[in-house]
Amino acid sequence: MREITYVEALRECMSQEMRENENVFLMGEDIGVYGGAFGVTRGMIEEFGPERVRNTPISEAGITGSAIGSALTGMQPIVELQFSDFITIAMDQLANQAAKLRYMYGGKGNVPMVLRTPAGSGTGAAAQHSQSLEAWVAHIPGLKVVQPSTAYDAKGLLKAAIDDPNPVIFYEHKLLYKTSSDDVPEDPYSIPLGQADIKREGTDVTIVATSVMVHRALEAAEKLAEEGINVEVIDPRSIVPLDEETIVQSVIKTNRVVVVHEAVKRGGYGGEIASMITESEAFDFLDAPVKRLGASPVPVPYNPELEKAMTPQTEDLIQACRETLQRA
Amino acid sequence: MAKEIFMPKLSSTMESGTILQWIKNEGDPVDMGEPVFEVMSDKINIEVEAYEEGFLLKKYYNVDDVVPVNTVVGYIGEKDEEVPDTPPGNTENSESKAEPEPDQNETVADDSSSSVTQIEQGQIRATPAARRVAKEEGADLSDMTGSGPKQRIQQQDVHEFVQNAQKTPKATPLARKWAEEQNADLNTVEGSGPGGKIYTKDLSAAQNDTVSAEPDRIPVKGIRKVVADRMTESAAAVPHVTLYSDVDMTELVRMRSRLQDKIIEQTGAKLSYTEIMMKAAASALERHPYINASLSPDQQEILLHRDVNLGLAVATEQGLVVPVLHHAQHKGLVELVKESKQLAADARNQQLKPQQMQGGTFTISNLGMYAVDGFTPIINQPEAAILGVGQMKETPVGENGSVVLRPMTTFSLSFDHRVVDGAPAAAFLTELKQLLEDPYELLM
Repeated sequence: MREITYVEALRECMSQEMRENENVFLMGEDIGVYGGAFGVTRGMIEEFGPERVRNTPISEAGITGSAIGSALTGMQPIVELQFSDFITIAMDQLANQAAKLRYMYGGKGNVPMVLRTPAGSGTGAAAQHSQSLEAWVAHIPGLKVVQPSTAYDAKGLLKAAIDDPNPVIFYEHKLLYKTSSDDVPEDPYSIPLGQADIKREGTDVTIVATSVMVHRALEAAEKLAEEGINVEVIDPRSIVPLDEETIVQSVIKTNRVVVVHEAVKRGGYGGEIASMITESEAFDFLDAPVKRLGASPVPVPYNPELEKAMTPQTEDLIQACRETLQRA
Repeated sequence: MAKEIFMPKLSSTMESGTILQWIKNEGDPVDMGEPVFEVMSDKINIEVEAYEEGFLLKKYYNVDDVVPVNTVVGYIGEKDEEVPDTPPGNTENSESKAEPEPDQNETVADDSSSSVTQIEQGQIRATPAARRVAKEEGADLSDMTGSGPKQRIQQQDVHEFVQNAQKTPKATPLARKWAEEQNADLNTVEGSGPGGKIYTKDLSAAQNDTVSAEPDRIPVKGIRKVVADRMTESAAAVPHVTLYSDVDMTELVRMRSRLQDKIIEQTGAKLSYTEIMMKAAASALERHPYINASLSPDQQEILLHRDVNLGLAVATEQGLVVPVLHHAQHKGLVELVKESKQLAADARNQQLKPQQMQGGTFTISNLGMYAVDGFTPIINQPEAAILGVGQMKETPVGENGSVVLRPMTTFSLSFDHRVVDGAPAAAFLTELKQLLEDPYELLM
C-alpha cells in the first residue's frame, strides 16, 4: 500500500469529507494560504476556497465559540488551534458550551464539531507551546478526546470524529506529523472511537501508551525483546471513550502494566487508566504494582536536553518495564 | 521491664480465645517473632508470636482456658524479673483495652521499616496475582518467602512453593524445626491443618502412633515351643474334620446336683461337668474303638487302643498342657474326680511326671467356663480325635411342637480323616450326645 505521512493522512481525510459533505468546513488561524502552523491544510484553500477554509482572527475563544454556534445550526466545523496550549483560552466555550448543549437541550441540539490541535514537546517550542493538556478536556463529560499515534489511525479516527454528533477534541502530535504509515488506504475509512489497538503483542508486561509514547513503547519493546522480555503495547487511540476491555484483558494476560503518557504525571490521564485497572477484574492478576510514567511537574524547558529529560523517553520505558519485572 | 503478652483479637467478632498449647514454657528464652502459644478463636487456630525478645516469665492460663481478648496471658522480660502472680487488669475496662494498642502499633512500625514479608500479624505482603493463585492452589501465603521488592510474594513464588510443596509436606515452621530435631519424616505425618498442614501436635501424635513402644519379648521355648511345634505339625499333617452337636444338658445338670454332696463327702472336691463328660466319653469310646485310635508312627497301621486314656487340656501360666488320665473306662466318678483334680493341680504347679503326659488316646478340651459357644480343636497327635466343649447356656429348643428353654452345650469333634471317616465319627458323637442327655445309662 502507499506510504503517506500523518499530515497527508489528515489532509486527505478532511479533503475527502469536504468533497462528499458540504456541511464540513475548516476554521483556524493562518490555515489558508499559509496552510496552518504545521502545514496540515496546505493547498486546501485552493481546492475548497476561502468560504470553506476560513482564516480567523487570533482568538481561540472566538473561533471555538463560532464553531459551536455553526455546529448547532447543522454545520460540521473542523477547528484548528495552532498549539493545544491555547485550548485554555477556548476552555469556557468547550467546557461550558460545547460539552453541555446537547444535554441541556435534551438532545434537540447537537454540537458535531471537531477541534484539531497539535500537542506535545520535542520541538524546542518551550513552556507555552509544548504542553499535553488532554486530561483537562478528558475530565469534562460531553467531550470526546482522541489521540492518534499513526498516519493510519489519524485518517480513520478523524473521519469518525467528523461523523460523531458530539464535540471531539482531536489531539495531533507535532513530532508525529512527519511520520508515515505504509498501510493507509486511499478510500475513506472510519476507526470507531473507543477502540484500542494492540500495536504489539507480548506476554510479560503491558505498556499502555498514548500518542508519541506509542512509538517509544514500541522501541522499548524492541530492545527488551533482545533480553527475552515480551512487551505488549496497547494504544487506546481515544482516551474518551476508553477501551477498558482491551487493557484489562491484556493485563490479565501479562500480570504487569506500565502506563505512559507525555503529559505531566501528576493529575494525568494515566492515573485514570491505572485506577481503572485496579478496579477491574484484572486486579487479581496483577503481580506488581501498576507503574505510571509521565512528565515531571515542571514547565516544559526550552533547553532541548532538559526538555527531553522531563518527558518519558525510550530508556525510561525500558527501565520501567525491567523494574516491574524485577529485572532492574 | 517485662512486657505483657496479650490474647490477640484475631477477628472483628472474636471476644475470647482458647489456649490450645503453650509452645514456650516459663523460663524459656523467646526470640522476637517466635511462636509463644497457640490460640483457637471461633474460626481459626493461630500461633501467637512474641513481640519482644527475652524470657517467658509467666503463664497465667493453662491449655484449654478460655481467655477474653486483650487479656494479659503472660509476660516476656529479663530473666528472673518480677511479675505479678495474677494477671493484671484482666477486667474489660477501657484502660487495659487501650494499652495494648499503642504497643502493637509501635512494633508494626518497627517491622515495616525492616521490610519483611510479614507486615504484621496476619498481614502478608503479596501481589493480588499471588493471592489469587495461592487461593486457587489452597496454599498458605504465610509459609512462603517473597522474591519481589520488600520480599513481596509474587505469582511465581506461589507456583514454586506449590511445586515444592508437592515434594515436601506443608508444615508450620515450628513443626518443621521439631521434625528436624527429632529426625522425623514429615512425609509420614498426617497434618490436621488446612490442606493437610502439619502442626506440632500432629507430629507428637504421629510419634505416638507410629513409633510404638518396644514390645516385650518372650523366647519360644519349653511348653510354648512344644505347643507351637505340635500344633503346627498337627494342623499341617492331619486332615481335620469337625462335627458339631448341640447337647441338652438338663439331665446332666440334674444328676450332677444329686451327686454333688456325695462326691464332696467322698473326695473333698466338687464334681465338675468335665468329669461327667469324661465318664460319658470313656463309655462312648469303648463302644466306638475306631475313635479311640491312632495312626502308627510309620503310618502303615491304625492302632485301636484297648484302654481309654483321656487327655485333659489344662491351661497353665506356661501354656497348654495335656495330662493323661489312664484307664478312664474302668473308673467311676469318684476316681475321675480325684484323679483329674490331682492332674490339674499338678499341671498348674508344673509337677506333672512324664508318664502323666503320655499314652493319651483321646483328648477333651473344655472352654465352657468362658463365653465360647463352640470351636474347632486341633487334634493332639497321634490321637485320632479330640472333643471340644463350649459353654452351657439356656437356649430355646423345639420340643413336642412347642419352644422350651434348655441348658444347651455345643460339642465339637475334630477327627483325623486318615484314620476315621465321617459316618463312624458322627455315630460316636451321636452316642456321646445320647449318653450326656440320658446320663443314667452311664451307671449301667
